[in-house]
Amino acid sequence: MSAPDTSATRTYALGACGLLGAIFVLFPLIITFVNSFSSVAFNIFPPPGFSLRWYENLAAQTNFYAAAGRSLYLAALVTVVTLAIGTMAAYAVTRYKFRGRGLITGLIMAPVVIPNLAIGVAVFMFFVHIQMIGSYSNLVFVHSLVALPFVFVIISVGFANFDWSLEEAARDLGAGPFRTFFKVLMPQIKINFIVAGVYAFTTSFDQVETTLFLVRPGENTLPVEMFLYLQSWQDPTMSALAVVLILFAAVLLVGLSAVIQKRSQVMNILTR
Amino acid sequence: MTHPAEPSPGDAVPRKGDRTRARINLLILLLPIILLSMYTLVLPMIIFTAYSFRSFAGARISDTFSLDAYRDFFSDSYNYSVIGSSLQIAVVVTLITLVIAYPLAYCLWRLRRPSLQRWLALIIFSPVLVSVVVRSYGWSVVLADQGVLNTSLIGVGLIDSPIKVLFTSTAVVIGMIHVFLPFVVFPIYTSMLRMDPALREAAYDLGAGWTMYFVRVAFPRTLPGVLAGAQVCFALALGSFVTASLLGGGRIQLLPMEVYQATAEINWPTASVVNMVLLVLAFVSMLAFNRLSRMAED
Repeated sequence: MSAPDTSATRTYALGACGLLGAIFVLFPLIITFVNSFSSVAFNIFPPPGFSLRWYENLAAQTNFYAAAGRSLYLAALVTVVTLAIGTMAAYAVTRYKFRGRGLITGLIMAPVVIPNLAIGVAVFMFFVHIQMIGSYSNLVFVHSLVALPFVFVIISVGFANFDWSLEEAARDLGAGPFRTFFKVLMPQIKINFIVAGVYAFTTSFDQVETTLFLVRPGENTLPVEMFLYLQSWQDPTMSALAVVLILFAAVLLVGLSAVIQKRSQVMNILTR
Repeated sequence: MTHPAEPSPGDAVPRKGDRTRARINLLILLLPIILLSMYTLVLPMIIFTAYSFRSFAGARISDTFSLDAYRDFFSDSYNYSVIGSSLQIAVVVTLITLVIAYPLAYCLWRLRRPSLQRWLALIIFSPVLVSVVVRSYGWSVVLADQGVLNTSLIGVGLIDSPIKVLFTSTAVVIGMIHVFLPFVVFPIYTSMLRMDPALREAAYDLGAGWTMYFVRVAFPRTLPGVLAGAQVCFALALGSFVTASLLGGGRIQLLPMEVYQATAEINWPTASVVNMVLLVLAFVSMLAFNRLSRMAED
């Protein structure tokens, strides 16, 4: 048995680790929040005074609105496409045993180990080569490729715990494949489906490297617009925009945790 | 009522007619993902590889096979220093991220109160939902010459004048650690969840202290998770472009920036060669990590 005093020390040390970790993770977000209310244009802490001028400046930047609109539309399309394709693939790979299953899984998972910029440059050269550059549907496909590995994994986890005899029972009772899917399979993987959808959405909404070369000039997505803005200006307008985006993420997160009440299920998905 | 044979792993060998139907089902299910991978991954990889065997002269890309781009790249010592700093930053980021992530995962695992555990998990996971551009920008605010870091260090009396952190490799490393941390914490946490709690009791009953238990029992069992996290972290660090550009401010030159600049200058052969180097490094590191994981599991 270990001595009780070292055990208490360990508990405190562990608690300190957790606290420090949480602070490290949240720190830049909190500082950005404070900085967005600064009264001056340069980064100084603590700010000499507080104002709302950067929010006013942000409100006047119409190019950010247009970019945000494009990004949201794109992310919504990517979510639909990846959920459809990812669910089909996850079903096939978990349900059937077939030759080449490893190869298919490898193909689906490949974008994880390929740097995003390498994908971005390769697709740019390819689309120019086949004279398809500037087509917005290409962006949907490329973002889907990047989001698919994790969507596939998250949904596969759901299928892995599925009792397949339920599906067979439904089919035996005369339900068609679509009805069986929506009435029997879907309720079982609902949570995985939602988490995968949120993941796909945020992945698309966050793409810079894969998108930089594909967007038409003047038709940037939001992260690309922000990235290019930061190359030339570093004023707190960006902080104000960051706060808006962080609030958006927070709403997503709260919504997500409200949908998923069972802690164990979140953990199951997060830890895969 | 018949239905297409969908043999689960434990099933007996299906009949022949069922097998053809299963095959058709499979094809329908997998066709979209195969087409997508072909269009956005396989063909682009082939095309960019082909461009790496072209030459670039007078703002034009030649139509004939050439090894010039490779020769130029490997005969310039500057490129070796870029490869060197890319690898160095990836190694440093991976090691520090592991050192931060492991106790954090352990804390998450040992937390008794479910509400506390849930909050910590959400906090660690939450940055994933915030754009990388926003997070990197946040660090540029923190690390600026008159930012929080310098103000607090001067306030405490540790330094007299602001230290230069922003636009150095230190800033790049800090930013990357922050961005990749969740991807390392969760694999380690997963490997901890897979451990049999009885092992802990057994170790204590046999008279082992915590240190002995940790070193001999717990740590070796979490090694697969550590390696999985390290693999993801290393790959992300090697390919990091946004964080490295924003926090390095153009002063830190890494492989992805070289790819970006060459592409922007329409020098596709050079861009393709650097891209190839980046891909080969990513691939080799993946193989190395797979090898290590297999060794750790034995």
